[in-house]
Amino acid sequence: MTAAALATRTRATLLPGLPPLLACLALLLAWQLYARTLSMGGIPDALSTIRELPAILGDRESLADILDSIRRMAIGFAIALAFSVPLGLFMGRSRTVAAMVNPLLMITYPVPKAALMPIIMLWFGVGDASKLLVIVLGVSLPVIYHAYQGARAVEEKMLWSARAMGMSGPARLARIVLPASLPEILVGCRTGIVLALITMITSEMIARQTGAGNILFNALDMAQYETVYAMILVISALGIVLDMLFEYVRGLLTGWAEPRHDLLAPSL
Amino acid sequence: MIAISGVTKTFQRRGGGTHLAIDSIDLQVAEGEFVSILGPSGCGKSTLLYIVGGFVPPSRGSITVSGRPVTGPGPDRGPVFQEFALFPWKTVLGNVAYGLREAGMRKREAERQAEALIARVGLKGYESFYPKELSGGMKQRVAIARTLAYNPAILLMDEPFGALDAHTRVRLQNELLELWERDRKTVLFVTHAVDEAVFLSDRVVVMSRQPGRIKAIVDIDLPRPRHRDELLLQSRYQHLVIELERMIEDPPEEIRP
Repeated sequence: MTAAALATRTRATLLPGLPPLLACLALLLAWQLYARTLSMGGIPDALSTIRELPAILGDRESLADILDSIRRMAIGFAIALAFSVPLGLFMGRSRTVAAMVNPLLMITYPVPKAALMPIIMLWFGVGDASKLLVIVLGVSLPVIYHAYQGARAVEEKMLWSARAMGMSGPARLARIVLPASLPEILVGCRTGIVLALITMITSEMIARQTGAGNILFNALDMAQYETVYAMILVISALGIVLDMLFEYVRGLLTGWAEPRHDLLAPSL
Repeated sequence: MIAISGVTKTFQRRGGGTHLAIDSIDLQVAEGEFVSILGPSGCGKSTLLYIVGGFVPPSRGSITVSGRPVTGPGPDRGPVFQEFALFPWKTVLGNVAYGLREAGMRKREAERQAEALIARVGLKGYESFYPKELSGGMKQRVAIARTLAYNPAILLMDEPFGALDAHTRVRLQNELLELWERDRKTVLFVTHAVDEAVFLSDRVVVMSRQPGRIKAIVDIDLPRPRHRDELLLQSRYQHLVIELERMIEDPPEEIRP
């Protein structure tokens, strides 16, 4: 390793959280200045928005609403994963399955899932079922797509090696195709998390009963702009935390897929 | 041991038409014999190996191994590929022990045997490494150990050293010979390198291209155990290399419809 590369790495490991933190501070500062200069009622400044946060997070009812959103999002995400991953893997390994499912995906992909919400509410009402279904729809498509791509790209010779060991078809799908496609599946999951968050909020905008989206859009209706912006902050923070958690889990699951430069093996 | 009779393979081409990859191959390989299939790229030598492995079905003809017809892959024929094809989510130990675990061996015993094999291919100390952390030569050692682990009677090697640099290739050739001298498995070895084929083999099957046919079968009557430095000085070795090189020299490329 060259001295320069080492120096860069040391700097990067010393302060890994600094650049994003600076970016956030800069954004808040810009917001503050902008709101102050305009001084319009509809745009509260950053400070008063942040001051609003304890009121929301300290309120038992709001907190219950937010947790309810997270619960729905988690359940929707889990349901979507449970069928999307096997479906995507099957598609990747069988041309017939892919030929059957692909047109359906092509039709559903461009449809904004939240736009289906009013129709879904006609079938399932305004309760959990409708909101869950919208989240499941939003999450499943990218996960199916990436599982499909991952399974398709599995090296043929790897599967042959397993066949030579006497491994059967279904076992190969679960024990070779699944782990080999895992890095690609996780790419789909990451998109899935973002989409789960978006569909969660929009579903609550349309069917207001509980949830983070409920707080946000009710506040908007009542022109409580500090609350609106504070909720946007809460939702953003939720997105960041989820993404960090996800990256941590990804590191645990697919550390093997990343070249580890810290362990330089002597070349033989 | 291996009897290949009348094996022909045609591939369906995209947009119609067929491509005759290999045509009417007849070949017998005796138990414990090291046979190389030598030919230019595109002569179908790998296809022939995949057919023996049971990974690809022949269009015509049949293969028997120890008298039993080949209908699919099996642990009696262990493949080693140019692409290594290791399981990247498994450590070196996990890869080598995989076939043993698959055969139902208990974890501790499988790992004990895998450790011994890893030491035999010179990778002691690398048991907990992932394939990503290894060089090409090390990966191929792991792949060889992974295949040897489940003790196949036949090794099917598909240009195993083709992706390695010259220095590593020579080292692995030497090590392969050492391993082979110890338990004399039947080896079918596909290569396009003449010196490699002569150095390793008992017999070299020379193939021509388009369609892949057997052009000649040459006995390599060099004494064993062979040592590279001694061999390079022998005129018999030099003659064989030159003879085979002339044989695989292609006539000018013909344009085919």
